[in-house]
Amino acid sequence: MKFLTVLPEFIPSSSVKDTINQILPEMEIVNNLEFEKNDADVLVATTFTRLGRKELEKFPNLKYLQIASTGVDNVDLSYIKEKGITICNIPIANKQSVAEHVIAFILVFLKDMVFLNAELKERKSWPILTGSRDLEGKSVGILGMGMIGVQLAKRLLPFGPSLLYYDVRRLSTDEEEMLGLNYVTFDELLANSDVISVHMPLTKDTRGLFDERTFSKMKEGAIFINTSRGEMVDENALINAVKKKGIKAGIDVYTKEPPDFDSELFKLENVICSPHIAGVTAESQQRFLTETISNVLRYAQGIDPLYRVEL
Amino acid sequence: MRGYEVFAGAIKSLDLLPVFGNPGTTELTSLKAVNDYILTLHDGLSVGMADGLSQLTFSPHLVNLHTILGLGNSMAYIYSAKMNFSPVVVTAGQQDLRHMSMDPLLSGDLVGFIGNNVKYKYELKNSAEITDVLRKAKIEAMTPPIGPVFLSVPMNLMDEETSFTEPEPASLNYDVTNDEAVNAVAELINNSKNPALVFGWEIDLFGAFKEAESVAEKLGCPVYGEPLAHRAPFNSSHKMFAGNLLPGTTLINLKLLQNDLVVFVGGDVILYPYLPSPLLEGKKVVFVGLNIKPKVGETYKVNVKFFLRELLGKIAKKGNYSRPVDFQATTKIANEKERMGVTYVMSKVKIFFSDYVIVDEAISSSTILRDVLGYSQGKYFFSKSGQLGWGSPAAAGISMKKEKVLAIVGEGSFMYSLQILWTIKKYNLPLKFLILRNGGYSILKSYSLSYSPGVEKKDYLSFNLPTEKFAESFGIEAEVAGRDLEELKWLEEGRDPKMLVVDVDRTIPKLFL
Repeated sequence: MKFLTVLPEFIPSSSVKDTINQILPEMEIVNNLEFEKNDADVLVATTFTRLGRKELEKFPNLKYLQIASTGVDNVDLSYIKEKGITICNIPIANKQSVAEHVIAFILVFLKDMVFLNAELKERKSWPILTGSRDLEGKSVGILGMGMIGVQLAKRLLPFGPSLLYYDVRRLSTDEEEMLGLNYVTFDELLANSDVISVHMPLTKDTRGLFDERTFSKMKEGAIFINTSRGEMVDENALINAVKKKGIKAGIDVYTKEPPDFDSELFKLENVICSPHIAGVTAESQQRFLTETISNVLRYAQGIDPLYRVEL
Repeated sequence: MRGYEVFAGAIKSLDLLPVFGNPGTTELTSLKAVNDYILTLHDGLSVGMADGLSQLTFSPHLVNLHTILGLGNSMAYIYSAKMNFSPVVVTAGQQDLRHMSMDPLLSGDLVGFIGNNVKYKYELKNSAEITDVLRKAKIEAMTPPIGPVFLSVPMNLMDEETSFTEPEPASLNYDVTNDEAVNAVAELINNSKNPALVFGWEIDLFGAFKEAESVAEKLGCPVYGEPLAHRAPFNSSHKMFAGNLLPGTTLINLKLLQNDLVVFVGGDVILYPYLPSPLLEGKKVVFVGLNIKPKVGETYKVNVKFFLRELLGKIAKKGNYSRPVDFQATTKIANEKERMGVTYVMSKVKIFFSDYVIVDEAISSSTILRDVLGYSQGKYFFSKSGQLGWGSPAAAGISMKKEKVLAIVGEGSFMYSLQILWTIKKYNLPLKFLILRNGGYSILKSYSLSYSPGVEKKDYLSFNLPTEKFAESFGIEAEVAGRDLEELKWLEEGRDPKMLVVDVDRTIPKLFL
């Protein structure tokens, strides 16, 4: 059985190779797919490597594709299905990191941190009044109650906000009770939430979902957070909502990555940005690595790997 | 015919049965011809049972106490009946009048002793007046303000030869209308900028729920429950219900800050603790009802059902209030599960007991209990006197006529009337007990935190009671609940009396402020 890992170019393969040699020495590591063919049975990749039909056709023997990430939208799933390839992701490694990142966005806005920081450091003033607010008693709407949504709800609960959620799949009554969740429609969530956090997958239904019409249904001054996929948001509509409705936005993902830094998005005071890094922490990378290695070893031993992506 | 036969005949004819009591030698003769008798093992519990049953049926029931001693034992319950506007006819045996000058054992000034805790009191002078006096007592009890009355019954009159005449019916008509009141209040409402409605217990008494809802919907303004309502003031699941007022001037004022007119219908204001804010100062305040004793504003004595029916046609829309969905409740429930908070416990109780009559004597949890379980017609009873020990016998009395009754009582309160378990078992009353065990007098500790800091730490405010074992010793099935409260299903099932003890969160909150 032949194994190949393709790492993005910003991760030097030499540093990973030392570790891999002690675990699965037969694993080959490369930084790009600039070759004609590879006879690997097992391919390990991150979301930073595009795996369209053209790229996947370079692996005629491929039986198992392990994506070392939560998202698999860099992969041509129709090809995978057509060829009967097993594809797995790691949906459990970064969900807590993303949840914490969302809470950081929420608290930065509620506690007026950007303003306060600038007052002291840039303007050297000592403000007495601020717009600082508590999370307790606010309504947080979570769009998408998958693993990240659940982790977010668990972490928000002790703060004491109302928790609303919408997902095409409703949780059981026991799960809702345990997490303190109120199931509402998409529109009800928009209308009643002080904070809206997006955790839905990118599909044909969700692409461009957050447009002028959607933002118009939100409360004035609501906090909108997207750590999911940039393509779900019409960035011009978001910019208008920030300017006209006082929407505050915490954005980790963009339609195009890296984004156009001349975009008005990066000039607005009420927008805080991070570079698609919500799930990337030292701890989450360690979990990704551990889980990816475990799954590949599982497959190598003839054991069914975990986290199969349903096609 | 002897006096005791007339006594028994008059009670029966006046529909005052059963007799609740705990007799002594002085009463034995008067009871000689009474067959429908409910025994309690403490005098006060008889009054408590009669209070609950009389409120439920809106019909007086008779208590027979043992002389001045039984009356003394019962005074707290009689006071509660007064505060609850409960038409209980209390009687007590008096010593043989023929040797009263010798100050015999068990004699005393019963009429003087009961003081102003009843609105009518009388000691029978001769056997010929037994029927008339009982009839008068019943009518007095039912006349607004409804409440308990007292008769002292000298034992020698019961053996006297006399005659019995069937009494005239002693029913009362409450169809009190008042066009002037309707017009005056309608004008106030129509001229106001932002009125608020406060409904009280008379909505339940006179079955005026639909009328109350119609008026609230038409006005479009929020409806509040009177502070510490002892019966349901409104259908709390209705969109116009904005919650209960709390019993403090500051708390009431803060809730009604934006309103220029406050209309109390069938309810009143009760205050505790003292807070220095002047009650509703600067606002127009009106009280409407038959039993009210208002402290401020104008008052109109009228049947609230008729009043609301007439008012509906004379008022214009004043707002668009609709209670927002309380998304916060689920957060509270989820956060409280680990520590068995009362909100979590009540959310579970609501699942199994939504069609039960709730008798509430969980004093420190009552605000949460009301908020979560809510109010509906004929389904909520509480003592407005503040007495501990009232809830268990009152619930027992109510369970004589209702199959589904849940008494929710704190373990400290329960100890005041423990003996009621014997009566419940003896008469196989279908009463279910939910004991909220919080390890002490939580309401005292709360008060202390707010108004007398430090006292809450005194060891005499805390205790550990094996309440479930007390129930078992009276032959009543009892369980202690686990964290998931699955035992609530067991508690609800079947007709036999049962008790479930829930060890709830012992965190002490401040009292309101």
